Amino acid sequence: MIMQTDVVVVGGGVAGIKAACELCQAGSKCVLVERDSVLGGKLRGWHKLFPSFTSSSDVIEELLNELKQSNVECLLGSEVVYISSTLCRLASGTEIQCRAVILATGYNLFDARIKEEYGYGIYDNVITSVDLERMFHTGTISTLSGAAPEKVAILHCVGSRDEKVCQRHCSKVCCITAVKQAIEIKKMLPNSEVFNFYMDMRMFGPGYEELYLTAQKQYNVHFIRGRISEAAQLPKGRLQIKAEDTLTARPLIMSVDMLVLMVGMKAPKQNALFALATGLELQPSGFISSKDLFLEAVLTSVPGIFVAGTVTAPKTIGESISEATMASRAALKFIEG
Amino acid sequence: MIYLAPFTYPFIIGAAFMFLIVVWKYAMWFIDLPKEDVQKIKKGIFSKATLYSVWEIFRESLLHVRIFKRSLPLGYMHCSLALGWFMLIVVGWIETIVYLGNSFVPLYGHVFFRFFAAPVLTEHFWILDFLMDFFLLIVLSGVFLAWIKRFSSRLVGIRRTTKHVLTDRLAMSFLWFVFPLRLLSETVTASIYGGGGFLTGSLGELFAAFLPSQLLSSLLMPFWWCYSISLGGFFCFMPFSRYMHIFTEIPLILLRNWTLRPTLDEKSYDKFEIQACSRCGICIDECQLQKVLGIENVQSVYFLRDKRYHMLRLATAQNCLMCGRCQQVCPVGINLNTLRLSTRAIMRNIPSEQRYNYFNGIDRSCGEGRVGYFAGCMTHLTPKIKISMEKIFKAAGEDVWYADSEGSVCCGRPLMLSGETDAARKMIKFNEELFRKHKITTLVTSCPICFRVFTEQYNLEGITVLHHTQYIASILRSGRIALSPEECSYVYHDPCELGRGCGVYDEPREVISRAANLMECSQNREHALCCGGSLSNFVIDDFQQQKIASSVVEHLLLSGAERIATACPLCRKTLSRATERRVMDIAEIVSERLT
Ligand SMILES: Cc1cc2nc3c(=O)[nH]c(=O)nc-3n(C[C@H](O)[C@H](O)[C@H](O)COP(=O)(O)OP(=O)(O)OC[C@H]3O[C@@H](n4cnc5c(N)ncnc54)[C@H](O)[C@@H]3O)c2cc1C
Ligand code: SF4
Ligand code: SF4
Repeated sequence: MIMQTDVVVVGGGVAGIKAACELCQAGSKCVLVERDSVLGGKLRGWHKLFPSFTSSSDVIEELLNELKQSNVECLLGSEVVYISSTLCRLASGTEIQCRAVILATGYNLFDARIKEEYGYGIYDNVITSVDLERMFHTGTISTLSGAAPEKVAILHCVGSRDEKVCQRHCSKVCCITAVKQAIEIKKMLPNSEVFNFYMDMRMFGPGYEELYLTAQKQYNVHFIRGRISEAAQLPKGRLQIKAEDTLTARPLIMSVDMLVLMVGMKAPKQNALFALATGLELQPSGFISSKDLFLEAVLTSVPGIFVAGTVTAPKTIGESISEATMASRAALKFIEG
Repeated sequence: MIYLAPFTYPFIIGAAFMFLIVVWKYAMWFIDLPKEDVQKIKKGIFSKATLYSVWEIFRESLLHVRIFKRSLPLGYMHCSLALGWFMLIVVGWIETIVYLGNSFVPLYGHVFFRFFAAPVLTEHFWILDFLMDFFLLIVLSGVFLAWIKRFSSRLVGIRRTTKHVLTDRLAMSFLWFVFPLRLLSETVTASIYGGGGFLTGSLGELFAAFLPSQLLSSLLMPFWWCYSISLGGFFCFMPFSRYMHIFTEIPLILLRNWTLRPTLDEKSYDKFEIQACSRCGICIDECQLQKVLGIENVQSVYFLRDKRYHMLRLATAQNCLMCGRCQQVCPVGINLNTLRLSTRAIMRNIPSEQRYNYFNGIDRSCGEGRVGYFAGCMTHLTPKIKISMEKIFKAAGEDVWYADSEGSVCCGRPLMLSGETDAARKMIKFNEELFRKHKITTLVTSCPICFRVFTEQYNLEGITVLHHTQYIASILRSGRIALSPEECSYVYHDPCELGRGCGVYDEPREVISRAANLMECSQNREHALCCGGSLSNFVIDDFQQQKIASSVVEHLLLSGAERIATACPLCRKTLSRATERRVMDIAEIVSERLT
């Protein structure tokens, strides 16, 4: 099958939805293609958002409403396997001819099993930040045996800033997510003890530093500077973790009931395939390069292909959505010539 | 006959100089040998080893059989130069005896025999003339190949040829001229006086027919002068160039057969190994740092070269995976990895009395049994392997003393690899005492790095040390565990430390074949590739390691296997980062198939 449109937006996460809305509102024809059967991207997995504890579903709902009013044509359950600046091919074989493409294909989560020393997938009570969000959704935090954990360790930077797994970049949102999650645990289980193991606290956004202080002062969350080196299973599903407290320069061994790994953002493999087919440039991290970091952040090295959201680097929701607006404007300008 | 001609002086001076320097060098090296090595020499000198060495010297210093096995043209090049030259000397000696009987002939009389003999000889033995020309032709063909090798090494069977230092280039230039000049000198002599074999004789006739005799007579002395100068020049530079290997390989073969070896502590014997390197460059092609990453100037040939000339940099010494692939192919059999380790030790060893005082009295072991299990730090970072071993021990009904389940002192090899030999020895001592205290009779480890240091450096008398693949193979054979084979194919990746390091190749394969289908890739066993994750390289970064790993995975999967099996936690970790396919340690495969 062959379809025709002005702009194809690839990826129906927050960035993709917003870009499609803007394009249609400006009167141009556009198709939004999403691999999953639902729109929303990663946000569907999050419970409440930093730094305001806004419910993630509120944000999605708002965006979907806007989408409905803009009459965007959506193709769900359709994976894009090939792009050029004038064509998108879907896994089904359908081809969409167009005059511009906005890539909003986002990021992948780092597979915590690769850091096998932490025992994810091997030990009972080692979970990831994504699993924890799922627990927040259900309203209970519990170990595999069903008990509420009394002592929880949260490890930052799993699969970020780690040369050993060839992920040199910072995933940006994990630090603040860890602070947010620590507070949520303390809210639900006030008697529990929570220890965050970090390398640096990167509290870059508005209200983040304040939240970090609140976590310490109001919720008594402990922050230890040092990476956990390994975990081992103890009887009754408890875990022993080894780390170094680099502020006191002492090795440290601790037993906890649950270990939460803050998994980072990884560039999807498909970026390399897209780059190969179109000549898009990639960063060493595997994310797609913008044409210019300051003035043309949503343009790429290929005219007619635009980018929005985390396809170029780890970003927050707000940043991804703002970029979507910019990308749709740039695409419009491009097709109007 | 009167042996007086000024043109021989360059040769005489060069030869005398070379002789003095070489003798002086060897004398110093022998004097500096440690007591144990002297003992070994005394023991070996009147044994069969000496006889065997003579054979080996003939085979390797003259015929170069090992280089032949590597590449025919390269072998021929080395053989023709060495054997050809050697035969020229031997036949030349016989020639003088045949013609002159037992009268005294000075050395240069032998070398320039044609010059002195041609005017006065009346009868000729054609067979001698033939042999001399024949061997000269052989040598010339070798020189020709050496020229070709400089222009295109591929034509002689290697991809890369060594980059040489100044003394090498000078010596080499003189050497290249020696034999063509000999040909010319003897030809001109033959053209004037007659004689010579099928080569010099026929060429001489040709010269005589076409060139005026006046010209030939005026060319005679300049050619012999040039020949003498090129010989003398070569001899002058020889002791300082790679050609020192020509002589040094001989004492090396003897010493090695008398069981002398380099150790972690640098010693005088090392000099024999270092200067026996011919800089043939065979080790360069073998090195994955070269092949995959394009890193030059760090391979064993360069390491030995830089060390010999005291220009070794830490970055060169440390840029090596210690995979042992070069050692495997080195035709001289130099212990390249040990030499690098002892060098690292000089550059990095930090003596510290207090550094590991906290070892005193710590013992975090648990369980009880005659069999001890030392998982090793790497295995602790790949807990699936550790859990699998625990399951296997349980299935076999083994009582096990777990040496390091709650933490331990490192086996010492990582520090040894980085050159911190003294610190490593402290750990070795601690662990030896720990093992003895718990009275184990068998020690099983999952890590080939630990396994190698246990077998090479530990004194564990009365304790059998096994890698877990060996242990599993033995309990499978005795029927203490049984497996239900799966319909799945594995290609086995030989870990460097287990394979080339400890010679364990068969047990891992035996175990895999009992659990699934075993497949092989072409570079396996002694020729296996290094996964790239080696603890010994302190220079390349993780991205470069990953690049090596990807190339290894690619090669392994050429076998057509569905999955990759290995027997080292570090290989397993490194390779799994480079592929989506399952990479499993043999212990994991076995624990999944236990019945
Ligand atoms: C644990 C965690 C918690 C977080 N919490 C917050 C928070 O509280 N606040 C905040 O601001 N940010 C948060 N973030 C960041 C947030 O997830 C991202 O900013 C946001 O998801 C980026 O949206 P996106 O549209 O760029 O990418 P994505 O959400 O990844 O969406 C990309 C979409 O593209 C689709 N797609 C990909 N490839 C194809 C293809 N070939 N064909 C068709 N469709 C395709 C995918 O299915 C997906 O739906 C969090 C991140 C993590 C990891
Ligand atoms: S180390 Fe061995 S293989 Fe390498 S150049 Fe020297 S002799 Fe040849
Ligand atoms: S040991 Fe391996 S990495 Fe080191 S020089 Fe030899 S081949 Fe290269």
